[in-house]
Amino acid sequence: MNNGNILKGPLGTGLLIVSAAAAIAAFGYAMLDLMAVGHRSFNTSSQMPWGQPIATYLYFALASSGLGMIAALPLVFGFKQFYPLAKRSIYLAFIILISGMAVLAMELGHVFRMLWVIPFNLQIQSAMFWMGVFYVADLLFLLWKFQKMEGREWDSRTSRQIGIASFLAVLLASGNLALIFGMMSMRPFWFDGLMPIYFYLTAVASGLAAVVFFTYLAYGFRRAAMPAAMRAMFEGPLPKLFAAVLGGTVLFIAVRAITGLYTNNPEIHLVWRDFLFASPVYQASLWLGIVLPFAIMLMAGLRGNPAVQVLVSMAVFAGLFAERYFFVVGGQVVPLFRGTWEWGLIEYTPSLTEWALTIMGSAMLFALYAAGERFLNLSAMPDDFLAANGSEATA
Amino acid sequence: MTKWGMVIDLDKCTGCQACTTACAMENNTLPGENWQDVLFYHEGTYPTAKLTWLPRPCMQCENPSCVTVCPTRATYKDDEAGGIVFVDWNKCIGCKYCMIACPYGVRFYADEQPVVEPDVRDVFPGEGQLWAPPYQNPESDARRGIGIQPKGVVSKCTFCYHKVSQAPEGVADLDEDNPETKEYVPACVRTCPPKARYFGDLDNPDSEVNRLIADKRGVRLKDHTGNRPQVYYLGSGADVPAYDPPSDS
Ligand code: SF4
Ligand code: SF4
Repeated sequence: MNNGNILKGPLGTGLLIVSAAAAIAAFGYAMLDLMAVGHRSFNTSSQMPWGQPIATYLYFALASSGLGMIAALPLVFGFKQFYPLAKRSIYLAFIILISGMAVLAMELGHVFRMLWVIPFNLQIQSAMFWMGVFYVADLLFLLWKFQKMEGREWDSRTSRQIGIASFLAVLLASGNLALIFGMMSMRPFWFDGLMPIYFYLTAVASGLAAVVFFTYLAYGFRRAAMPAAMRAMFEGPLPKLFAAVLGGTVLFIAVRAITGLYTNNPEIHLVWRDFLFASPVYQASLWLGIVLPFAIMLMAGLRGNPAVQVLVSMAVFAGLFAERYFFVVGGQVVPLFRGTWEWGLIEYTPSLTEWALTIMGSAMLFALYAAGERFLNLSAMPDDFLAANGSEATA
Repeated sequence: MTKWGMVIDLDKCTGCQACTTACAMENNTLPGENWQDVLFYHEGTYPTAKLTWLPRPCMQCENPSCVTVCPTRATYKDDEAGGIVFVDWNKCIGCKYCMIACPYGVRFYADEQPVVEPDVRDVFPGEGQLWAPPYQNPESDARRGIGIQPKGVVSKCTFCYHKVSQAPEGVADLDEDNPETKEYVPACVRTCPPKARYFGDLDNPDSEVNRLIADKRGVRLKDHTGNRPQVYYLGSGADVPAYDPPSDS
């Protein structure tokens, strides 16, 4: 019995095979380049040390945190309407974080060395040390929570406690990730004490986009195929939450843009004027990927429509990816010293190898997702909740 | 305790880049990845335009932001070694956070596209090392980032620690004109034709570097960052023009 989930059958296997093949191909391509010429295959430089692979990692890590926060709505805060999302969100949070970490691993100079030097040197002054600690904790709690859900243990004391621990790990991980950028006073475009709030908001926005898209995908983009409680969620609370979160994101980008354009400090002002707003890609991603979806989700008549929800989630997916990219690169485009080697803004376009890493991470996400839909029941909900909200049983 | 400091007199500096060249030879850096560089600027517009330049080594900051961000303690400040900031190539994982956090842009990742063509790594390919330059500094100490830079790690100016560490204990200044100390002077200081660079102990009240900083009002670059460099600049032009894109000037 597949309960309307089209990925339970051959389609799921197909998606799994295709995306696993794509992930392996992209990995192979990047690996060959890295083995042949090392990070010369990247277009990053000593003046622009963090490029698209870091932006990809950031995007994935934050989408994972966003999914963790969404799952906390029913699991920690008791917003029961969101139960239909909980298990899929936790699963997606786990696999998207793994995919992001895989991309990061290919970016670092010495990934295996990291495994011993970080724990043995305990540099607690470094936000990047804490990133390791919190994201590993996050990963473990997600796995543990998922395992509890697999065992249909939704409401036991331990399960609840793990849920709370997992939520805290998510907050610490993504908040600290924000501070990796936000504490850098020598990079004024990033330097902002409110960076964690901005990351939380955009994390939830990208998490919502992910869970909406992947849930629809599981049901062949047909809402009628979904369990009743899930339909109710997509018709009622979810689009409103999506609208609110997108609104917060728009507001945050707006205040950052306004202060950025207003200030005389060239290291902020020029990033907004000559890099972000000067780029058609940034403009498109901002207006079509964030502002327009927000406007659409504000309209009561449209936001409940399944096709609209899928399109909005895809637009937000892309819009926020671009947002992360421009955020990471934007902090570095103004040279620390103008002069001999650099007269204008530092130029950077990701190389094919860097794109391969982004594709590898995305394909890996799809493959793990397909495997999850195929072999696990990601739509599971607590029995008492199901009994109260519709007749469909879990698989 | 010794605290090595450098003083650069911009009124004497001619921008000849001899220091840059000497550093590249001494430390086998890749062309264009200059641990010590002279940056040329133009400031202002006609009729007040002027060309100006600024020699820029690592500042060996007293309060180095590169050190606190490093998750592995690969980057560390060694007070026993005169306060020089080193990168331990055996510990660095190449996360490049230090390159983000250094306000002076003086850290380099050798495993990147060549700054200058042709790529010398292909011209002089190395066996088990990133490249094999025709002359290789016999000193090497991976724990202090001295030698041929390996792949996947960050490197930076070491104040020529392999030289200054040999200096007699308690010496106030390392002066290339003094036969007693000339062998221990950092390459950039020793080679500077107009003697615009001085090197000595900032903790020694009698040192020439301290006298110059006091008498000629030495300033530190980008002092608002709070990094407190151990490199001081003298003379007019000891400031950094704000970034001004070509489109605006
Ligand atoms: S100048 Fe940069 S690399 Fe050198 S000690 Fe200061 S922060 Fe570190
Ligand atoms: S690149 Fe190396 S030296 Fe720099 S912060 Fe990372 S581990 Fe430390």
